[in-house]
Amino acid sequence: MKKLKYDIIVVGGRIGGSTASLFASKSDVDVLMIEKRQEIGSPVQCAEGVTYSAFETLEMEPSERYVRTRVKGAHIHAPDGRKISYEGGIAQGLIIDRKIFDKELAIESAKAGTDIMLKTNVKDLIIKDHKVCGVVAKHLGKTIEIHSNVVIGADGVESNMARYAGIETYRDPKNIASCAQYELVGMDVDPEYLEFYFGSKIAPNGYLWIFPKGDGVANVGLGIRGTVDNAIDYLNRYVSKLDATPVELNIGGVPVSGPIEKTYTDGFLVVGDAAGQVDPITGGGIHTTISCARTAGEVAAESVKREDSSAQFLKDYQSKWRENIGKNLDKSVKYRNMADKLNDKDMNALAEFIETQDLKAISKISVLKFVGKHPNLMKILTEIL
Amino acid sequence: MDIIHENCGYCGTCVCVCPENVLELEENGLIIKNGCTECGNCAIVCPLGALIPEG
Ligand SMILES: Cc1cc2nc3c(=O)[nH]c(=O)nc-3n(C[C@H](O)[C@H](O)[C@H](O)COP(=O)(O)OP(=O)(O)OC[C@H]3O[C@@H](n4cnc5c(N)ncnc54)[C@H](O)[C@@H]3O)c2cc1C
Ligand code: SF4
Ligand code: SF4
Repeated sequence: MKKLKYDIIVVGGRIGGSTASLFASKSDVDVLMIEKRQEIGSPVQCAEGVTYSAFETLEMEPSERYVRTRVKGAHIHAPDGRKISYEGGIAQGLIIDRKIFDKELAIESAKAGTDIMLKTNVKDLIIKDHKVCGVVAKHLGKTIEIHSNVVIGADGVESNMARYAGIETYRDPKNIASCAQYELVGMDVDPEYLEFYFGSKIAPNGYLWIFPKGDGVANVGLGIRGTVDNAIDYLNRYVSKLDATPVELNIGGVPVSGPIEKTYTDGFLVVGDAAGQVDPITGGGIHTTISCARTAGEVAAESVKREDSSAQFLKDYQSKWRENIGKNLDKSVKYRNMADKLNDKDMNALAEFIETQDLKAISKISVLKFVGKHPNLMKILTEIL
Repeated sequence: MDIIHENCGYCGTCVCVCPENVLELEENGLIIKNGCTECGNCAIVCPLGALIPEG
């Protein structure tokens, strides 16, 4: 029988929830994680590409139980078919089985002492004197109230926790990439490279990706914004040209607005997709979520020990995550705004320019000469810089 | 808004763009509570086209 009072309650049991609860439990406080689905990590809503940095944050070695391939670079395809290759940096990493990884992370958290409730839907927050002090949850038709000093919302794009706590989240459909993906068998792809395809025909205001999982299996998906057709229509059009067969369909939304303004209030923190902690250029949210969720777990645990879960104390979470990844996300928002203004012709021109340059030794003069020939790019650059 | 339940993939993407907070992903599927203003946000982001304007 679970208790009805915990130091910390974490709502959502995927990477944000498991990371926050793991690091809170490691700090020796009483933690409960609540997941509304009956199975952690399912259904997958992810292309499953992750950077090595995520594992450094977790202080874990990537396990062969979930690592499918290790990629060293990416091929980027412009609308006219021009291809640019890039190695290292953010293009380097692992393709994992999220279903197994998410479960492993929950297991680590449980081993550290976290109690977990499954198939339990958090319906509301308990708020007293403007302070969040627990949750109202429903499990198999029974409604239960569970109290806590701090609640951490790790409930993803479908997040309602932040709103219940009075925190404004994102709402503009322009800032949500609508995604669909098949896991396909029979793909003839390089297992060491990610493939990205750009262009208004393939994926308007977004891109199509192919992430290799080894043995001719790959995640082929796309994210788009502001279109009449649905993501699945674009995906089906692309996939119909391939001689490959699907074994899984995944769908979801990625917030690409950059993080929300305020991620804490009295007795409450919000992390991961629910807080918009996703890189707006790549749509990658695993490493950012893990980084912020670790901070949230540690700050929440500290607040319990100090017996102060006021917004004033919990503000420390926001200062710390901003210090870790805030600058990078802000930069990415800027680049995304710039990328939004590029049409197919601009992208082709950019690809042509990069193709002819030694990327490690691009000179300012060659860049100036190039944008001088492309007035639209010049306009975009001057607006941004 | 009308939900075509057989198209819905329970991804929750629509929930985050609803300005009226009337969408909720329940145990047995997506529900629209009272108060929808037919703003159309949810239909724009649904990957599967499971939401269509009423009428
Ligand atoms: C198609 C697609 C591809 C992507 N590809 C990549 C990629 O390759 N690399 C990368 O880094 N990122 C990728 N991302 C982004 C990444 O998947 C997310 O940023 C990350 O999963 C966010 O984790 P989270 O824990 O914050 O939220 P989620 O993974 O959404 O988890 C939220 C959890 O909370 C639970 N929950 C919600 N409401 C309640 C409630 N009321 N009560 C109880 N439980 C609740 C949900 O059931 C869910 O399990 C992709 C996203 C999509 C949609
Ligand atoms: S149409 Fe607008 S108000 Fe109605 S459910 Fe969709 S997003 Fe909410
Ligand atoms: S966005 Fe579409 S598929 Fe996803 S939950 Fe909403 S209606 Fe269902």
